[in-house]
Amino acid sequence: MTDALLDIGAHAVKLAEKMGADQAEAYIGHGRLFEIEAENSSIKSASERHDTGIGIRTIVGKKIGFAYVTTVDPSDIETVVSDSLALARSSIEDPDFVTLPSIEGSYQHPPDLFDSRINKISSEDTADLIIRTIEATKEKLGKHKYAIDAGVSIASSKVAIVNSLGISEVESRTSISIYSYPIIKDNDDQTASHEYQISRSLSDIDPEYVGSHAAELTIGFLGSKIIEGGEMPVIFAPLGASSIIGRGFSGAVDADEVQMGRSYISDALGRQIASETLDIIDDGLLPGGIGSRSFDAEGYKSQRTPVLESGILKSLLHNSYTANKDEVPNTGNASRPSYSGLPSISTTNFMVIPDKGTLEDFISEMEHGVVCRNTGDQPNMTTGDLSAMIMEGYYVKHGEIQHPLKNTLIGINMLDLLKRVTQVGSDSRRTFTMITPSIVIDHATVTSG
Amino acid sequence: MYKPYELKQLSMLRIPAKEILMEDLAQIAIDTALKNGASFADVRIENARSTILEINDGVTKAAVSSKLKGAGIRAFKDGAWAFAQTTDLTPTGMRSTAESTAKMALATKDKVAERFEIDGPVAHGRYAYSVNKKFSSISIDEKMALVRQIDDQARNFDPRIVTTRSVYAETWTELYVANSLGTSVYTENSIPRIISAPTAKDGTNRQQSFKSISVRGGYEVMEREDSQNLGTSAAELVIELLSSVPAKGGIYDVVLDPILNGVMIHEAFGHATEADNWPAHSTILEDKVGEKVGPEYLSIVDDPTLVGKRGSYEYDWEGTRAKKRHLVKDGVLTDLLHSLETASRLGMESNGAARSESFMDEPIPRMSNTFMKPGDYDADELIHSIKSGILLCSFTYGYTQAAKGQFMFQANHGYAIENGEKTQMVRDVSLAGNILEILSKVDAIGNDFELEAGSCGKSGQMVPTMSGGPHARIRQVPVGGM
Repeated sequence: MTDALLDIGAHAVKLAEKMGADQAEAYIGHGRLFEIEAENSSIKSASERHDTGIGIRTIVGKKIGFAYVTTVDPSDIETVVSDSLALARSSIEDPDFVTLPSIEGSYQHPPDLFDSRINKISSEDTADLIIRTIEATKEKLGKHKYAIDAGVSIASSKVAIVNSLGISEVESRTSISIYSYPIIKDNDDQTASHEYQISRSLSDIDPEYVGSHAAELTIGFLGSKIIEGGEMPVIFAPLGASSIIGRGFSGAVDADEVQMGRSYISDALGRQIASETLDIIDDGLLPGGIGSRSFDAEGYKSQRTPVLESGILKSLLHNSYTANKDEVPNTGNASRPSYSGLPSISTTNFMVIPDKGTLEDFISEMEHGVVCRNTGDQPNMTTGDLSAMIMEGYYVKHGEIQHPLKNTLIGINMLDLLKRVTQVGSDSRRTFTMITPSIVIDHATVTSG
Repeated sequence: MYKPYELKQLSMLRIPAKEILMEDLAQIAIDTALKNGASFADVRIENARSTILEINDGVTKAAVSSKLKGAGIRAFKDGAWAFAQTTDLTPTGMRSTAESTAKMALATKDKVAERFEIDGPVAHGRYAYSVNKKFSSISIDEKMALVRQIDDQARNFDPRIVTTRSVYAETWTELYVANSLGTSVYTENSIPRIISAPTAKDGTNRQQSFKSISVRGGYEVMEREDSQNLGTSAAELVIELLSSVPAKGGIYDVVLDPILNGVMIHEAFGHATEADNWPAHSTILEDKVGEKVGPEYLSIVDDPTLVGKRGSYEYDWEGTRAKKRHLVKDGVLTDLLHSLETASRLGMESNGAARSESFMDEPIPRMSNTFMKPGDYDADELIHSIKSGILLCSFTYGYTQAAKGQFMFQANHGYAIENGEKTQMVRDVSLAGNILEILSKVDAIGNDFELEAGSCGKSGQMVPTMSGGPHARIRQVPVGGM
């Protein structure tokens, strides 16, 4: 395949080799981001960002350097190649570094990563999406005094990776997200909530659902109260589960963190670390998945990796460095913030395998406990201790929601949380970090006051 | 009064043709935007260089350098904003980006509900933060040797330290801001940072600590004693953390140390005073300006004019001269954090709080160095006065939702207080609360003071900040624990 970005990459790799690199890699990112934002229930601003740049990783012996620049001008590329090499030469050798990745087997190309409708959508049609979202929110909010914050974001990007070992891959991807964030102010009571959707395909986006659901949720958080704390069961709705599992567990199976002894999970491969009801996979090949790609951020082929099977830890998530260090297969989880960083490790589509029941079912079965719809917290990754504010949640008694919560925290260690999962729902949804249904844990410490 | 090296640097500024070019490019963009129908336009042209050196367990984990250069252009018409950015720093690049930005603003203007104009003070200035040792005058090898020294210190401190992470980071930025009101401001800034984060293990107990130093300046900051010994101080803390126990959740009387007090002020209050919340009706403080929000002995300040601090700057990212802000004076909400837009809409004058992470982002109201002013109490006295409670120290992170009025932050560690004495060390303690309730629970303020380096995120943009204050006592708050 010939492509202008691949040509630039190939040229940069050759230049690095000529200047003395044993191995080199070029990562070129090219993206367009168009956004419209609304404030106080009306459109306020539009922005368009074009971002193109190149990052060069060079290897000298077992020493690594990296430099990037926010252009792809030939003179800038020459400077970053030379900067990258200078950094490599000044580095302290890493005895665990073996090699950059090479092509192993054939690449699978997950479908539906690029939607030409997103790529071509006009600013008028984009504005229409946000106007529909706001109208749907307003309609549901009715007579409440409100202000709606809303936004739509359209991204198209192209990534090209070339290295000395024959990797030469390029892929284009699109994504769209919309959100509605209504704020209600009724006398002395003020609250807010939100709903959003993100997809690689325009046809998945439903502004009416986002708007009306955001409004329903917000109305439901009026009149929040504290409760008497203690040990009690917790239902994590998908957004809450996504914070806890998507960030708090995925970071613990990052092979780099495990190898460095910084994860609360260690020496656990093949061991039962979670409840038998919990199955988690990382699927880089999911059709249309937000985390899907044919190749990872080092150009290595994507795959589907079982992480937890019936609560047993089956695999960590690896990039080429950690896989070589542990002498295990690379899982293709190298990740980068674009051209502007070295590869680290992150999930692709991290998915809790759905079982049965919905959030409503779990609430109706709960005698006494809390629902955590959302939290911004994550555990201490080294100790696993989690102390999370219930940003949005409810108190449940006799199978019914009694009232929303305020000033309420959940405390539990992640290793206990994983083991105390009693039910996994079927109401899966896609969030910014993962795909998960609601989950129930047997008990945690709840503090409120 | 300039010191000799400052004079040298300022006189050098006039020489490079590049800077004249920045002014010309900005003017082309502004003229093009106005010609295409914008009533206000501004431009930020930035050239930034940064280096990050990270050593883990004695091995270089990351050696990264970056060059960031480009321009961000805003155009405004009748209450509608448009923003675009380009890395094409040529007259053609500026012209085409400014034209499409102006067209975007014009296409948006018919959809806005509230019309207003942008007005504000005009500034002309040039300021280069004076440094003794420019980053570029120090070799990579010397910087790498410093990181290695910090890393070795931590690793060799105690056999229970199982892994070390040490990072040196430097950023040098030149920024030119101009707008259609006539503002023209050139600034240079220089911020180094050093971090040590070792992990220790004892049996199954695993702990990590985090220490960092970051102030404005050149490489001379790294030659200070505290920078040179950062690995040892981080190692001391992580070994102490091994003896900590998880805190038990409950309602407690607490004392916050200066660092955590700063985090509380930042999260629980600072964000809610960012004036973009007013037109958006997204702060619980909306109706509280000029009203009592805390006890009369409580004052909160956001001050970008403090000398040499990480969150300091002379002109904001809209070119407005930075001013000290008295957010809360004697318990009354008196000041907000303004950009040109919020000041124009609220009929006030901007106090220079608009900041951008880089030219790729739009400037929005942000904090700088935010702190509670010291009071009368001796810090020990605050601890002695508590029968049963917790002293909360240092921070891991915090966040807030200003529209709902809730916030939370997590302390790195703490100490149980029993009968007025500091006892067992506890860890991973968090505190949640309501913005309108928490300040009234602050019932005694210490007479000490300390500021800590941080980074603040908002709308996807990170900016360097500091926060702090004295020790403070808060009665009956929910503390999360295991």
